[in-house]
Amino acid sequence: MSALVDSKSDEVDIAKRRVALALPSGFGLGLPPLAFLLLFFVLPVILLFLVSFLTARSFVIEYVWSTDNYTRIFASTSFWLATWVGLKNGFYTAFFSVVLSFPVAYYLVYRTKSNLILYLVLLSWFSSYLVRVYAWRTILGTNGVINSFLMSSGIIDEPLQVILFSPFASVLTLIHIMVPFSLLILVSALRDVKQDYLDAARDLGASKLAVLTKVILPMAYKGVVGSFMFTYILAAGDYITPQLLGGREGVTSGLLIANQFRSAGNWPLGSAMAFVMMATFVAVYFAFTLLLRILNLAPGRRYHE
Amino acid sequence: MLRAYLCAYLFFLFAPIAMIVLFSFNDSPALTFPIEAYSLRWYETLLSKPDFVASLVNSLKVGIYTSIVTTILGTLAALALIRMKGRYRQFFEWLNFAPVGLPGLFLGISLVTLFGLIGLQRSLLTVTIGHVLFTLPFFVEAMRSRVNYFDPSLEEAARDLGATQFQAYRRVTIPILLPTIVGSAILTFSLSFDELIITVFVSGNDTTLPMFIWSMMRRTVDPSINAASVMALVLSILVMAAGGASLWFQRRWAVAARHE
Repeated sequence: MSALVDSKSDEVDIAKRRVALALPSGFGLGLPPLAFLLLFFVLPVILLFLVSFLTARSFVIEYVWSTDNYTRIFASTSFWLATWVGLKNGFYTAFFSVVLSFPVAYYLVYRTKSNLILYLVLLSWFSSYLVRVYAWRTILGTNGVINSFLMSSGIIDEPLQVILFSPFASVLTLIHIMVPFSLLILVSALRDVKQDYLDAARDLGASKLAVLTKVILPMAYKGVVGSFMFTYILAAGDYITPQLLGGREGVTSGLLIANQFRSAGNWPLGSAMAFVMMATFVAVYFAFTLLLRILNLAPGRRYHE
Repeated sequence: MLRAYLCAYLFFLFAPIAMIVLFSFNDSPALTFPIEAYSLRWYETLLSKPDFVASLVNSLKVGIYTSIVTTILGTLAALALIRMKGRYRQFFEWLNFAPVGLPGLFLGISLVTLFGLIGLQRSLLTVTIGHVLFTLPFFVEAMRSRVNYFDPSLEEAARDLGATQFQAYRRVTIPILLPTIVGSAILTFSLSFDELIITVFVSGNDTTLPMFIWSMMRRTVDPSINAASVMALVLSILVMAAGGASLWFQRRWAVAARHE
């Protein structure tokens, strides 16, 4: 009964509290991560951009503003060759990772309830990057598994030199590294395409292929492109795999940039290269999606509204 | 047919790794099949190297520091995202995710430029900063799906019942999000333990385990690389298993508590 009597003052109290609740709208809580990201992500990227307009003489940065680095890069054939290798690495890796993972994602989402395979794939994602690079070096190397098998079975007399230390070795390894990542993105994309839509399409007489091309792919388009984009950017910018497996023909612009920051020591030039590389990747990516749209392979907005 | 393809896919993923595990126990330094005798000699060689042990300890340290910092920052970011609306939320989500959209190389050279300009010596601290930057997006992304389904009225209910804001976090919000937080913290540790691309730029004289393996790989063909790889692998798997087990027990306790 007393609750009824007090109800009015209670309401006022609750209203007051609501105001107090509404006030910390997340900014207070978000401040530490925001500060971290501004200090260690946004600021460094800005600094890197500024440094790319400086010059360096014998390991020391000189505070002279110029666009020399950029003119030097645009005139450098070896940089563009290396960028081309990186782009090819990225494109092949992304393409094969998505194509290889799509059937598996389809199976995981529509054909099974067990999560075992997903856990196994996660496990392989967490098995060290370097371990996998090393494994492929062991498989493809001059005295590696493939060569010694071919030699002992008498198919070849001398070890094949071409397989290791080539762009092919880089791409194969990068695919192996990126496949779990693209699978996870594809699985989450396909999870959004509910079984009901598939059933509805089948009830209306769509063939299996039509369900795939007219329902699943258009609806999961964003996820498929997202999976492609991530593997493309990560693989194209990678420098460890090309360094360890790519050989002389497999030098990528990522590796050139890493060398500027590690051995050669011309940070401004390396920074400028990094921005040119990123701009190229993004430009190529947009050109690619534009091409898809022109060829009418990309669905309209209607599926996502 | 899909099943056969699935088996081939898993074989492609795991055969190279399984092979490294087998070779690590191979008595002979040759990396060819068949393996004639098994031994632990490469593990003994490795563990007798002080550099190796030091790098392993450094990696564990950085992994723990990174998990702590990322968990705090990531949980705060997730709590903030629950409350944010509209444009601010979009911007904050974007900012939290953006570091993953750039190649690790780009993050590494940006950080080393910052450290160089402000004169911060490269050490395990700078490595930790790099790893937090690299793992934070994954942490927030892993939390996000849970956060999207979080009902803020639960927190309001706690406040209406007289809890302070802090009590509401401690007794309501955090316990609901805890399984996801634990899972994401473990993910963070595994990512940090394996990170090389950024570490190459931001590490000083103290190397981490991937750095140690990387420098071994560049120098020679040394069969103890197999053993080092397997140890890195086993540690990651152990951490993941511990995480999985802790989540499983948590769920069991929660179910048991409900039945009482």
